[in-house]
Amino acid sequence: MDRYRIMVIDDEKIVGDMAKISLEQDGYEVETFLNPAPALSRLQETKFDVVVTDYKMKGIDGMEVLKTVKTLYPDTKVIMITAFANLDTAIEALRGDVHDFFPKPVRIKELKASIRRALGIQ
Amino acid sequence: MNKGLVGRLRTALGLSESRKRHAPSFELLFRRFRDVLESNNRAIEVITDMGEKLGGDYLFDIVYVENAYAQLSDELTHSMQRFNLLTENRYPVLHSVYDRIDTQIREMIYGSPPGQDRMVVFLSDTTRDMVHTVGGKFASLAEVKNSLSLRVPEAFVITTRAFDTFISSQNLTLLVESLDNGTGVKEPVLDEVRDLIVHATIPQELEEALHSALENLKTKCGEHCFLAVRSSAEDEDGESSFAGQFETVLNVPLELRALEDAYRKVVASLFSHQSVNYQKQLGYRIGKLKMAVGCMVMVDALASGVIYSTSPNEDTDTLLINATWGLGKAIVEGQTDGDFYKVKKGVLPELVEVKKGKKERMIVTLAEGGTDTIRTPETMAGKSCLAGENVQELSRIGMILEGHFERPQDIEWAIDRDERIYVVQSRPLMIEQKDWSEPTTPVSLKDIGPPLMSHKGIAVQKGVGVGRVFILRHADEIGNVPRGAVLVSRYDSSSFVRIMPYLAAIVTDVGTPTSHMASLCREFRIPTIVNTGKATEILSHGQAVTVTVGDEGDTVVYEGAVRGLENRADRHSERIEQVYEFRKKRYILRYIVPLNLIDPSIDQFLPERCKTLHDVLRFIHEKSVMELVDKARYGNAMIKEHAAVKLELPVPAGIIVIDIGGGLNSTAGSEHASFEQIASLPLRAVIKGMIHPGVWHADAVSMKVNDFLSSMIRVPEIAFQRNDYVGYNVAVASAEYTNLNLKFGYHFTVIDCYCSETARNNHLYFRFMGGATDITKRSRRVQLIAEILKGYGLTIETKGDLIIGRIGNMRRDAMEAILEQMGRLLAYTRQLDAVMHDDFAVERYVRNFLKGNYEL
Repeated sequence: MDRYRIMVIDDEKIVGDMAKISLEQDGYEVETFLNPAPALSRLQETKFDVVVTDYKMKGIDGMEVLKTVKTLYPDTKVIMITAFANLDTAIEALRGDVHDFFPKPVRIKELKASIRRALGIQ
Repeated sequence: MNKGLVGRLRTALGLSESRKRHAPSFELLFRRFRDVLESNNRAIEVITDMGEKLGGDYLFDIVYVENAYAQLSDELTHSMQRFNLLTENRYPVLHSVYDRIDTQIREMIYGSPPGQDRMVVFLSDTTRDMVHTVGGKFASLAEVKNSLSLRVPEAFVITTRAFDTFISSQNLTLLVESLDNGTGVKEPVLDEVRDLIVHATIPQELEEALHSALENLKTKCGEHCFLAVRSSAEDEDGESSFAGQFETVLNVPLELRALEDAYRKVVASLFSHQSVNYQKQLGYRIGKLKMAVGCMVMVDALASGVIYSTSPNEDTDTLLINATWGLGKAIVEGQTDGDFYKVKKGVLPELVEVKKGKKERMIVTLAEGGTDTIRTPETMAGKSCLAGENVQELSRIGMILEGHFERPQDIEWAIDRDERIYVVQSRPLMIEQKDWSEPTTPVSLKDIGPPLMSHKGIAVQKGVGVGRVFILRHADEIGNVPRGAVLVSRYDSSSFVRIMPYLAAIVTDVGTPTSHMASLCREFRIPTIVNTGKATEILSHGQAVTVTVGDEGDTVVYEGAVRGLENRADRHSERIEQVYEFRKKRYILRYIVPLNLIDPSIDQFLPERCKTLHDVLRFIHEKSVMELVDKARYGNAMIKEHAAVKLELPVPAGIIVIDIGGGLNSTAGSEHASFEQIASLPLRAVIKGMIHPGVWHADAVSMKVNDFLSSMIRVPEIAFQRNDYVGYNVAVASAEYTNLNLKFGYHFTVIDCYCSETARNNHLYFRFMGGATDITKRSRRVQLIAEILKGYGLTIETKGDLIIGRIGNMRRDAMEAILEQMGRLLAYTRQLDAVMHDDFAVERYVRNFLKGNYEL
């Protein structure tokens, strides 16, 4: 069986690098992007099961990523992470059908659990 | 003139009129003290949070690091302001120390690594993370000089940036890059590269930098010093030692031409056949490694040599020292046999074996530069190069470096004619470790028996540790703890830091997750459980165990080595460590978390010694406590300004309480209070101990010759008159604090204690001095008190008949228990020195006391 594919978009390299190494350890196939534009082009080519994206990025923000993903693949789950967490952003994200929303720093264990829930695996 | 002298004396004793008049009230001082604690606490909370978030379990970004640091520096600034008020600006140096650390951290967060664009960097401006700029060898040496403050000769480094400039200026770049084109390195090409380098012109930019570095060095060390010019390749002295692979040019005069020649020689050695083969074996792509070159002032060496901080193939608790006359090159190149010293590591290193070498030849420096090998003069050959103190100091240097770099070190040193020891190199010693961490045949997961201990205590650092239990009874035994052991101790102590890198796990009976030790455990990632209550009873010395601390703070100790668990836990952290950006960000913790200022009783407890923000906080806390101890001793003077209340106790302890807020529950204006009315937590605990049935002996013990003194031992009934308190026992007390000055006969005791629900705020300072009997009996009592207090985990310092004991970071209940025992001890020992007729008495009375037998 094919491995689950996860995309991580964050404009800070450390977030993608740490997420990649942690998630690959659990057997996921992970691709990371520092910039949302090439990430969205990549999504045009290939479906990912889960997209983990930063909320606030230069150019295209997390909400736009969410919209594009949901238009292309309604069943792909989007998990949003942000360093600038407040209630408004959380509500906005949840209305946009985000699967989960985490303030940064996010505990890797919790992110993994959220991904498992998104994929319906225990 | 007389007045001046008396005035100065009074000032020195804190008695000057002007000081008295302007001195803030004790209540105000106490408020300031609490303010300091408050800011310190918030700072420690941020430090703990940063340690957790940057520990590898969280995804974090620079915004977090920036915000957390901004908060931390705010708290520290507040703390320092309040500390200044409390101490009346007595520690101005602390500010410049803080500024230096703060600048380093900010550079790491916001700026490019210092020195990256420079041709030459002085060692004092170098940090350990500059390995790609100054090479591994000199990055380590910078750490030794700047962070550990060990003596390292003045030095500057010609950086990798200079190397790039040099190579490219000779149009060598292409040639060097072509060295490894996949078909193997051709020897004639190597020869050509070396030849070109040796004859190359130094680019102007580099020449100017070298000239100015030499001038700078001349102002520091004088015209007549010489340099050792040594390689410091990027990865040298890291995971690969490169030992002996590159050229070293010794005794180079401080002249531009000579230095340039030496530089070219050292750089050329990167392309020697031998070094290229070595690089290939290690998997380097030839031509990729960059070389920095260190220029270090030569030590006028009487003797030099090497320390192996852990002796290879032997007990890990011994270290080896090799020494020879003159320059150490003779030893590292195997030209002489040298002296050999084997030392058992410990608080006091112990020489266990000496083999004197013949040392027939020695290498000496020549006045015009360069070196020569000569026959060792007869007066020296065969004689030991080192005195006992030198061996001690070298051993300590070995232990410090091993502790700091968290692995055994191969250290080169030199001792000059004034017997000053210099470290000239410290690199990892590549040896197989024997340890206590492989205790038994691994138990598989399904065969695990019921746990020895489950869900007891507080998790400090998660992880799994497998090893044999070492039950630590006294802090003095720390040197005996074998590598890989699971340390089990009644109390926690930051002094464990010395052996922390080698421990499998730590478990304590008493302790808090916010103690200094706890921070250190997180830093070293030692699985740690504190406050288990009875680990020292449940676990037995030598028993093989697996300590597991889970993500949710679940703690379990299994019997045997349960291997499956260990591997699962370690995998994640090992992999995360591979993320370069993570390691880089995490690095700032080095300037924040580690604690170097540990023992306030030693001379080195100075602001200049603060290397991290944690050190700064530690210094502030300790000195704030001492400020209270110092000010509260004028309790008698305070009585005039305060309501003083006499304690009515079942024993004639004669204690007067000055309540500075919440210390007593007595009605206003009342001149008496009962034990039940003591509201101050620490004071109540001490008094509870003093009035414990049987500990206070009413009758003076017969003192034989010194009978006339016996009357002094009895506490006189107090005539309760306001102006007549001199010599009485005074307690300054608030709800959570007491400073108790006791004078029982000729014994003076001070207890200064803050005891609250916040463990981190709590401290206990104890001082005891004096006695009415002869010095032998008195020192027996000192021994007895010290023994008992050590058992309660206090750090003890004794000097003649003076004892100073300290403990901090302790939970309220544990602190109260100690205070109560202390109260009993003070009551019990009032007359004890009179009956301590022989040394066996110490042991006997300690035993009795601990059993609750208070007979004299």
